[in-house]
Amino acid sequence: MRALRRSLKRLTSWMHREQDEARLRAEIEEHLAMQTAENLRAGMPPAEARRQARLKFGTVEAIREDYRTQRGLPFLEDLIQDARYALRRLRKSPAFTLTAVLTLALGIGATTSIFTLVYAVILKSLAVANPDELLRLGTESRCCYWGGYSQDKEFSLVSGELYKYFRDNTKEFTELAAFSASESAVGVRRAGRSDPAELYPDEEVSGNYFAMFGIQPYAGRLLTPNDDRRGAPPVAVMSYRLWKQRYGSDPSVIGSVFNLSDRPFTVVGITPPGFFGDTLRDSPPDFFLPLAGDYDINDPQTHWLDLIGRIRPGAAPTAIEAKMRVELKQWLRSHWGDMTANDRAKFPQQTLFLRPGGAGITSMREEYEHWLEILMMASGFVLLIVCANVANLMLVRGLERRRQTSLSMALGARASRLVREALTESILLSLLGGAAGLAIAFAGTRLIVHYAFPATTGLGGIPINASPSTPVLLFAFVISLATGVAFGIAPAWMATRTDPIEALRGASRATARTGSRTRKTLVVLQAALSLVLLSAAGLLTAALAHLANQDFGFAQDRRIIMQFDPRLAGYQPEQLTPLYRNIHDSLSGVPGVAAVALCIYSPLGGNNWGAEVWVDGRPHPGPNEESFISWDRITPGYFSVIGNPILRGRGITEQDRTTTQHVAVINEAFARKFFKNADPIGKYFGRDEMGSRLYEIVGVAKDARYLDFGLDKPVAPFFFLPVEQHDFPPAPGAAEVSPSSHYLKDIVIVTRPGATVSVAALRHAMASVDPNLPIIHIRTLKDQVAGTFGQQRLIARLTSFFGILSLVLASIGLYGMTAYNAGRRVSEIGVRMALGADRAQIIALILRGAFALVLLGLFIGLPISLAAGRFLGSQLYGTTPYNPAVTLVAVVTLALCALAASLIPALRASLILPHEALRAE
Amino acid sequence: MKERADVLQGTLALMVLKTLDVLGPLHGYGIARRIEQISGDLLSVNQGTLYPVLLKLEQEGSIASEWGSSENNRKARFYRLTRDGRKQLRAETRDWEQTAAIIARFFTAKAEHFQ
Repeated sequence: MRALRRSLKRLTSWMHREQDEARLRAEIEEHLAMQTAENLRAGMPPAEARRQARLKFGTVEAIREDYRTQRGLPFLEDLIQDARYALRRLRKSPAFTLTAVLTLALGIGATTSIFTLVYAVILKSLAVANPDELLRLGTESRCCYWGGYSQDKEFSLVSGELYKYFRDNTKEFTELAAFSASESAVGVRRAGRSDPAELYPDEEVSGNYFAMFGIQPYAGRLLTPNDDRRGAPPVAVMSYRLWKQRYGSDPSVIGSVFNLSDRPFTVVGITPPGFFGDTLRDSPPDFFLPLAGDYDINDPQTHWLDLIGRIRPGAAPTAIEAKMRVELKQWLRSHWGDMTANDRAKFPQQTLFLRPGGAGITSMREEYEHWLEILMMASGFVLLIVCANVANLMLVRGLERRRQTSLSMALGARASRLVREALTESILLSLLGGAAGLAIAFAGTRLIVHYAFPATTGLGGIPINASPSTPVLLFAFVISLATGVAFGIAPAWMATRTDPIEALRGASRATARTGSRTRKTLVVLQAALSLVLLSAAGLLTAALAHLANQDFGFAQDRRIIMQFDPRLAGYQPEQLTPLYRNIHDSLSGVPGVAAVALCIYSPLGGNNWGAEVWVDGRPHPGPNEESFISWDRITPGYFSVIGNPILRGRGITEQDRTTTQHVAVINEAFARKFFKNADPIGKYFGRDEMGSRLYEIVGVAKDARYLDFGLDKPVAPFFFLPVEQHDFPPAPGAAEVSPSSHYLKDIVIVTRPGATVSVAALRHAMASVDPNLPIIHIRTLKDQVAGTFGQQRLIARLTSFFGILSLVLASIGLYGMTAYNAGRRVSEIGVRMALGADRAQIIALILRGAFALVLLGLFIGLPISLAAGRFLGSQLYGTTPYNPAVTLVAVVTLALCALAASLIPALRASLILPHEALRAE
Repeated sequence: MKERADVLQGTLALMVLKTLDVLGPLHGYGIARRIEQISGDLLSVNQGTLYPVLLKLEQEGSIASEWGSSENNRKARFYRLTRDGRKQLRAETRDWEQTAAIIARFFTAKAEHFQ
């Protein structure tokens, strides 16, 4: 009861603490006056009377403190008081504050910026209802099609039929939705308008897709199972982004008809703003179409759908997984008759896995996780160096404030209070730094997103928001707090070790040693971390150079790639040959153009077509034989246009028509793989197990890199087919093999040496062929190749940036340390010079001190940088993590910077005049 | 160091209450003088430690205070015992006497008493 009353009293008295403070002061005054009067009566001289009164009363500060702790809410009060006091002190030394805050802002900003990416790409759930109830099929993301009745490791893509089988038999899901695993786009034109079609990403989804995610429409309605039926009126849902940006939130869009790749769809609704589909990707879908529109849904062995389901409350994911494995086997068995021998052989291993699906299809996570880890690590190192630097600054400050600290202690201040004061100051600094860092983080994230995921004009771009969200703010706050404690601990600890008498006696002499070990440790740490970052940056840069400067097997100069899509303009297969001829002729007529050829995809353009290959006269490859070979379809003259030399035989010519012998050109790797040392010219091969025609090999081209993965491995086998040879298998009535491969998309243009060809002229030439042909992009082959290494380049650059930042910070730290130490040794240097030391010896003396630290740092940093090299691992693309040249460059760079940083104070020290130095003492 | 302060504070509070009980309303200096006279050197060095104790007692409602003027017409804060304080004093005196008696018995006990 009494305790309660006291707490209440404390609370109220905290409110009028000023008054209480005044009351105490008055009471103390009165007390002292009365005691003094008494002493005077006892016959003391006035001054002595007053002194005795004070002595008897005790230390006023300690009593005040005691009084305060008795009175209000001491913790809060002290905190406010400390903060106020710290702010005042920081204001008094603006240079220090500014340096510290800026340094901290850099460190915290870098870390927060990388964290923003980590959060968006790795940690964040989809903006859907209860994301933790979602399960997805598959442990890793696969793209985009998988044929047959077996899949390696796990069944993660499903066909329309298998989806329906799972959906109808797995009642533990309230909804199980399917959607296309590949990225696709549609040419969009509002019905009744004549402007050319615009290209927007779309996604085919099952009717319960939105219900499964638990999403409400922003306007209109979303898709329902009713739309997902054969023969249902074709409808589409538009993204909020497109509706707002392209159509100005026009309400009449809802209910109106849009031609999507020349098929009419009624837009029935708009998705909510935060929703970007099931996958974080750099061009989220702008149109959601029901699956019913696609014939592939009835092909049981074309697996092209991803699955996400919402589990019923109480259902166990492991039980569902077990049940679905059984269902998978049952379904496969029902197709036993259609299965190939290889599929049957692989049947026992077929299984599936369910994983939490709240983050959707996490292909970005899988792709970027490692490099985000690397960047997080690098920025963490920078932050550590920043901490060390600021700690050094604080220590120097603490040393300079020693007299004051001693005085406070002599007056009765408690050690714990002084520690708290120092910590308050450092945390305040780091919070200021954190606030400034947020601004840097915002700018930094935008910059990184801009370079890492360049958005195509008019498209959505990656839905990563650079502006700080709650988790990011929280992260920045926590990291600031941790930073503040990290660099404040040493100075705070030093404060407690102050011996009042020592300090008051002679500040300069007594403090010469204290703290210098801590500060030296910090410099060593900085040197070590800096070396690690520098060598990591060096390794990544070397790996990038290794990748980007390899022999690609084709010419990059004077080549322009124009991507278009005849399918989006509604071209039918039989219209294609004349179209390509017209495009060829029209573009060839543009001034400055030397030659033109077309292909499905140009080198390093991000595409890949593949087929199972078997050589005529040999058994078909078994289940474990790697015979999946990439290929491309090309127009005559393609090889000379792309600059890929034909080593043997010939390329594709005008004579290769549907009616003539079907031919193929292979690359060297193909020849090596299938024919070893034998001459492949004149040999035959076929593709796909069902059987195609046989292709006669007429030429061998030099290995050229087409695929934008496996860049560190030798070029894989590859073959080229002529565009005019439509591949109808010899069996009567058989359907054409891969008919869609005749839709070529990349136009390769060679310009004449010295000529400049304007983009407008190229567009004009295309428009003269058909104004409705959507041109997806026009870029030089050089840019296309460079774009392949965009990610590597970004990591290398960011790591280099962090490396340089750390180098600069470490140099500043070393400079500060050396200058400070040299300043403390002025008298020693004076004595040495008086005794005959010359300037060189003095310089050597100072440099020796600095380099001892740097050497120690290198010694510690070397093994860590080797470990860091191993951590970089796959990011090095096969180059060794133990690169002596890189290490040497890193060491020399660090040494040079250290030399520069310590030479200045050394030179200054050597200019000391002995008599002045000694007089100062 | 801290422990001693705690003991001091506990006993000091009791001394303050008793002083006010015996002498009636008194200012801080008066209380300090009185305790000093009776206890000898317990308070002779740190008279100031009295004030936090006074504050604590006031917060607990054992004493109350108001400004008044001292014998030689100086402004001073006078403390007086409240009804609660009187009750507390009685209770604590009883406790103290009990404790003191027990301790005293221990000190006077001869070796044979422990066997």
